[in-house]
Amino acid sequence: MAKLFIDKSRRNDRLAELLIRIGGILVIASVVWILVMISRVALPLFYPASARIAATFRLPASIAAGKVLAVGSEESQKGAFILDESGTFHFLKVIDGSLSASIKVPTVPPGAVRVVSAEYVGTSAYNLLWDTGAITSVTVALASVKDAEGTISLTHEVSAQEDLSFAASAGIVQSFARPIEGKGAVRIDRLAGDRLRVNHQLVEKDLLGNEKRSNTGSEITDPLPGRISAVAVDSKGHYLYIGTDTGWLQRWDVSEPGLIRLLDSVPASEEHKAITALTLVLGDVSVAVGDAGGSLTTWFPVKVAGSGEDRRLTQIHTLRPTIGPVSRIIPSPRDKTLFSGGADEIHVDHMTSERNLLTITPVAPVTHAALSPKGNTLSALDSNGALTIWKMEIPHPEISFGTLFGKVWYEGYDRPEYAWQSSAANDDFEPKLSLVPLVFGTIKATLFAMLFAVPLALLAALYTSQFMSPKLKGRVKPVVEIMAAIPSVVIGFLAGLWLAPLIDKSVLTVFLSIVIVPLMLLFTIFFWKRIKTASLLQKVTRGHEFIAMIPVVILGIYLAFLLSGLAEVHLFAGDFKQWLFSTLGVRYDQRNSIIIAIALGFAVIPIIFTIAEDAISNVPRNLTAASLALGASRWQTAWRVVLPSALPGVFSAVMIGFGRAIGETMIVLMATGNTPIMSWSLFNGLRSLSANIAVEIPEAPLDSSLYRVLFLSAVLLFIFTFIINTGAEAMRQRFRKKYGRY
Amino acid sequence: MKLFWKTGEPYVLATGAALAIILVMSLTLVGTVMTNGLGYFWPRALVQFELKDGSRALGQVTQREKNPISGSGRIQLKVGNRDVFGQDFRWIDENDIVSRSTPADAVLLERSEHGNYFGMLRGVTAEGMSLSAGSPYEKLQQARRLVAGKLDDTRTIKKQMSNLNTTVERLRLKLQKLEYVGKEKNSAEIVELIAVREKTMAEFSSLNEKATATQAEIGRVTAQFSDVAGGSKDISLPEIVTLQRPNSMSFFAKCGAYLERVRELLLDDPRESNTEGGLFPAIFGTVMMVLLMSVFSLPFGVVAAIYLREYARDGLMTRMVRIAVNNLAGVPSIVYGVFGLGFFVYGIGGGIDNLFFPERLPTPTFGTGGILWSSLTLALLTVPVVIVATEESLASIPKGIREGSLALGATKFQTLTKILLPMATPGIMTGLILSMARAAGEVAPLMIVGVVKLAPTLPFDSIYPYFHMDRKFMHLGFHIYDVGFQSPNVEAAKPMVFVTTMLLLAIVIIASSAAIYLRNRMRSKYTTSTF
Amino acid sequence: MAQTQDQSGNDHILTVSNLNLHYGEAQALKGINLDMARHQVTAFIGPSGCGKSTLLRCFNRMNDLVESARVDGSIRFNGDEVNESSTDVIALRRRIGMVFQQSNPFPKSIYENIVYGLRIAGVNDKATLDEAVERSLKSAAIWNEVKDRLNDSALGLSGGQAQRICIARAIAVNPEIILMDEPCSALDPISTLKIEELIEELKSKYTIVIVTHNMQQAARVSDVTAFFYLGELIEAGGTRKIFTNPEKKQTEDYITGRFG
Repeated sequence: MAKLFIDKSRRNDRLAELLIRIGGILVIASVVWILVMISRVALPLFYPASARIAATFRLPASIAAGKVLAVGSEESQKGAFILDESGTFHFLKVIDGSLSASIKVPTVPPGAVRVVSAEYVGTSAYNLLWDTGAITSVTVALASVKDAEGTISLTHEVSAQEDLSFAASAGIVQSFARPIEGKGAVRIDRLAGDRLRVNHQLVEKDLLGNEKRSNTGSEITDPLPGRISAVAVDSKGHYLYIGTDTGWLQRWDVSEPGLIRLLDSVPASEEHKAITALTLVLGDVSVAVGDAGGSLTTWFPVKVAGSGEDRRLTQIHTLRPTIGPVSRIIPSPRDKTLFSGGADEIHVDHMTSERNLLTITPVAPVTHAALSPKGNTLSALDSNGALTIWKMEIPHPEISFGTLFGKVWYEGYDRPEYAWQSSAANDDFEPKLSLVPLVFGTIKATLFAMLFAVPLALLAALYTSQFMSPKLKGRVKPVVEIMAAIPSVVIGFLAGLWLAPLIDKSVLTVFLSIVIVPLMLLFTIFFWKRIKTASLLQKVTRGHEFIAMIPVVILGIYLAFLLSGLAEVHLFAGDFKQWLFSTLGVRYDQRNSIIIAIALGFAVIPIIFTIAEDAISNVPRNLTAASLALGASRWQTAWRVVLPSALPGVFSAVMIGFGRAIGETMIVLMATGNTPIMSWSLFNGLRSLSANIAVEIPEAPLDSSLYRVLFLSAVLLFIFTFIINTGAEAMRQRFRKKYGRY
Repeated sequence: MKLFWKTGEPYVLATGAALAIILVMSLTLVGTVMTNGLGYFWPRALVQFELKDGSRALGQVTQREKNPISGSGRIQLKVGNRDVFGQDFRWIDENDIVSRSTPADAVLLERSEHGNYFGMLRGVTAEGMSLSAGSPYEKLQQARRLVAGKLDDTRTIKKQMSNLNTTVERLRLKLQKLEYVGKEKNSAEIVELIAVREKTMAEFSSLNEKATATQAEIGRVTAQFSDVAGGSKDISLPEIVTLQRPNSMSFFAKCGAYLERVRELLLDDPRESNTEGGLFPAIFGTVMMVLLMSVFSLPFGVVAAIYLREYARDGLMTRMVRIAVNNLAGVPSIVYGVFGLGFFVYGIGGGIDNLFFPERLPTPTFGTGGILWSSLTLALLTVPVVIVATEESLASIPKGIREGSLALGATKFQTLTKILLPMATPGIMTGLILSMARAAGEVAPLMIVGVVKLAPTLPFDSIYPYFHMDRKFMHLGFHIYDVGFQSPNVEAAKPMVFVTTMLLLAIVIIASSAAIYLRNRMRSKYTTSTF
Repeated sequence: MAQTQDQSGNDHILTVSNLNLHYGEAQALKGINLDMARHQVTAFIGPSGCGKSTLLRCFNRMNDLVESARVDGSIRFNGDEVNESSTDVIALRRRIGMVFQQSNPFPKSIYENIVYGLRIAGVNDKATLDEAVERSLKSAAIWNEVKDRLNDSALGLSGGQAQRICIARAIAVNPEIILMDEPCSALDPISTLKIEELIEELKSKYTIVIVTHNMQQAARVSDVTAFFYLGELIEAGGTRKIFTNPEKKQTEDYITGRFG
């Protein structure tokens, strides 16, 4: 029986040992696991893009390759279509290149026989220019469906857009038509002989619901700096861009009926190379310019220094050049990616990040190319009459090391800047995901907080461990330890909703306190000897000095408050904040860095205090005793003997406090305005990495660039604090080894 | 005097001053929270001001401040009647005041919507209710009692309705599952379920009609009030949450009202987007999350500490574990939140959804924030606290005790369970309490992994399977952040935030004091026990 | 428990031969050869750090707990090799009890302290336990002092009482040998005397090995004395002989107080 029991307990022992060891190893594993998991989410930001050919096939013999006007495909690379001169859409099955259906456009303008050109205007819509000069608009819907047996079939539909149609007109080379919301439409024609004509066809409704149509036409009469080589019009029909064979880029305002104004005329390259392709990037702010030398640049109007509100087209981004002239630029319908084609290759570049994402090399020169509505499929018809479909994986084109950590010239900005703005109301917005303002905010908050906390915490720790009476120490230490347990949300709330309005009322009190409280203390110290002998203060003997200091501190702050009122009235014309703004040009935010310094400082004081106090207290008593026995005063002993010995411990206390301050979230979130600005001003707010995560992640879609960038900032925080904590711990362990035995 | 400087006494005083500043700051913090929090429930007098321009104002004085330039004071008055005046507070210059009075019959109404109403009671309209004669105030009290009974009835009906609702929802999920596994639309099972659902829904609508009828009936009982600006208002009785005449209340009546408000705070649901009413769901959510967290963090933390102190050899491995523990403690809590979101919520939660609840997709069940994921995330965050405390208490047990047990032929495990763990219990408790205090106050990671501002249901209720690990929950700390920083009317919400803050602060301070007391007692116990 | 007779026929319960022990690089025991007879008290004497406690802790493999310790050579207990990895340490320690320099009662009641060794071996029968408590407390000559407060915490006892409780705790599992590692060094003279008397009584039933700093104590209680110096066994023999007529000069110097 006993034998059995012993065997059993021995087995238990071995099992327990195994489990406990696993438990220990799990702790390390979990730290590594955390880092691995968050890195794994962040890493795809830097994955390269890829493209593979989903299919390539010759067009069916019934379709004459020479008469093709446009190609297109759908998202899953199952179906494609061809538009030919007769205005017929031919839908093709990608799997074998067979013809699924041919549908002619439903409306053909009177007298028209042939489609001259087709302009893709986005969201599956084409503007067709007929041989009579008439324009119609058509949308094509193509989708693949899988039935129960897994057979893929295509659904297709071609429908006319009734609201956009223009009557016949003669002598047209190229034409653009744009709807004007609720008002009618505008067509811009490039006529033979380098003429450009703008025609507004407006519809007005009076109160009775009667429609009144008006037609206003005008033509560019100014001489152009060369022959027109490329034209682009934005999607609203407000701006017209012209490129010439002499390399000039012009921007015209055509938004007013009957009034054409030249806004800009700039040379696109120093060598005045002919502009061969012009396209507006998604969002209609930037225009992409390709020239005969193969260079690809993007431009948008920027405020010119010293000319008020005047804006001038400026070259912003330079993308990777192609060999030979740029023959076409296709903007992505989803983001700021550009597909640019030279003679032999198609480049995929992202405008903001200036990243060359992909280079696709077709077998033969491409004659027509198009992107699917989601921008992940490229279809191209080459000169051999073969249609090739590429499936592309472009995970996070807008992210590069440069956009995360460098200055970027964003659309609408006057210069390259570090900026964080993750979302806006519109879809074609350019996300600004620079981590620099956030890192800056983190460092600023931490630095100010440490400036406030470190002196207070260390001096207090020195006092508590060296000079305070042991009985009192037994009470004061737990108080500070409990302080450490105060939830940061409580500190943040008080800082944001109680302290900030309080300081807002009298900012000067803070600055005057910095001067007056030490002065008061000095004053007290000066008269200490005399005060000490006073009968009332007899009790305040060695080890209790700080109690006498409490009223002095309170009195000092109150005095500062009184004086600040006076100072404000007499020195700053009654309102310090107004004075600050008008005289120094400094804006005052209610939730500013002063608040953060105090609140975050308050949060880390107990941490620094506790660790530093332990370190100082752990210096062996016999060292102190030896020094005192040699006749040193208690200050001399503390300053010259104890503190130097405890220095590694004290330093690690500061480091651990630093680590805490870096990662603190709620206080920074609540006590600052969370504005991602880069300014060292005490009177401005900031946004830290951690608060940024808390603010943004609930709204970040899973696996989006923003989501991954937030994970990346978590990785940064982790690594940052890991280094600091490991350093501090290593120092503490060495310190412990030195004195731990005592 | 010279000696005084030479010996460095002034520096000693300077260090003392640093400590003084820290203590003053802490006391200010606690004091501010206490004064603002405790005073909120006290029924304050309604003061009526006659102003120079002939207008009048009625309200509670909230603060007074001096204009630094003119030197004259101004008073902030909570005037209530948000729906009439458009704002809760107004400033009155003291120079403009002609007279002030406290009218005894001024009433304070707490309403279920639009905040407080301050004014005079004019009369009561109670169709179909026989009220005994008396002053309008007495009549109103009487009518309120009658209405309260009916309100209870509607509440019971509502509860039944919500139960039916749950049944319908469950039937819907069952149907969804059957459809998902490919059952025919007209199979017996589905037809039967649909029939049950129809029946339940019919039951629901009949109850609904009943509830609407009762509500309409009691909605017709109204009281007429007039405000200080001369406007009058009809308020139906169910809208009135509390009715007070603070100016004519005795001290004890005020105490009673105070206690009633405390009860409401602890046991009732919040109203008016959390700025009024109680905190019960937040308290419940916090407590449950903390307990659930302890279930995960305690065993793991204790085992890790035992490994470090009793099993690991002093070497590279131990050093690495220690560094790992320190980093677990030092890594910012928001990083844990991010990890919890990526790993628990989308990783494991998404996996569970794909495996067990595929029919509900794309609506996530576990693949979204919830109390389980929050607890796990916080367990990871607080495990170092348990480890450090347990290790410290194990380390304080003299070596001789271990040797004594081993020399008697005990196995290591027996020594551990029979001698060491019982001795280390106070230390482990300390760690547990500290970790619970930390978890109760932690907000940042929870915002990411499952806390919400208003949860319709508690994570624990009488509906099978009782614990709903997938549910989102409310939390005191997040409540502070949300009400204080995200609510549309921050000024009006401030008192509520102070009360919540006081509650949270009290919980955390009491818990950590207990932990520190336990730890200090344990420290002194074992350092002297060997002789 | 199978009793194995020593090959040589002498009734030696412990036979140490050529035992070396290293703590990391430092050698703490150098080639020790020593036999210990059954039912006798053997005392180890020598200056601090001479390895006498280390040797004692080799007998019940308590040195296993010291990570850097490395043992080679042989210790035979009733003819069985102690220093083998296959040796059942748990069983070994049940047969060789130990009393430490500082009394180490568990923070439990006196009763639970005594029965601890039995309980961990799976004995839970109340009558057996009661009997064992009374027997061992009586053997340890402390029964009269504590019989009325068996359920009080053992932490409340005086140093001498606590040490005797520890001895009783060791006796309770019926070991064959009791190792005592300076059991009286932390005690006052009266408590020391009581322990010494106890040792005298215990030797009829148990073999006792005692490490002591106190030469009078060694002379008073032991039958055989072994003198260690710098990790070596200098001399071992009858106590009377060692104290009156030592063979080695070092022994004589130590005993007469010239060093150490």
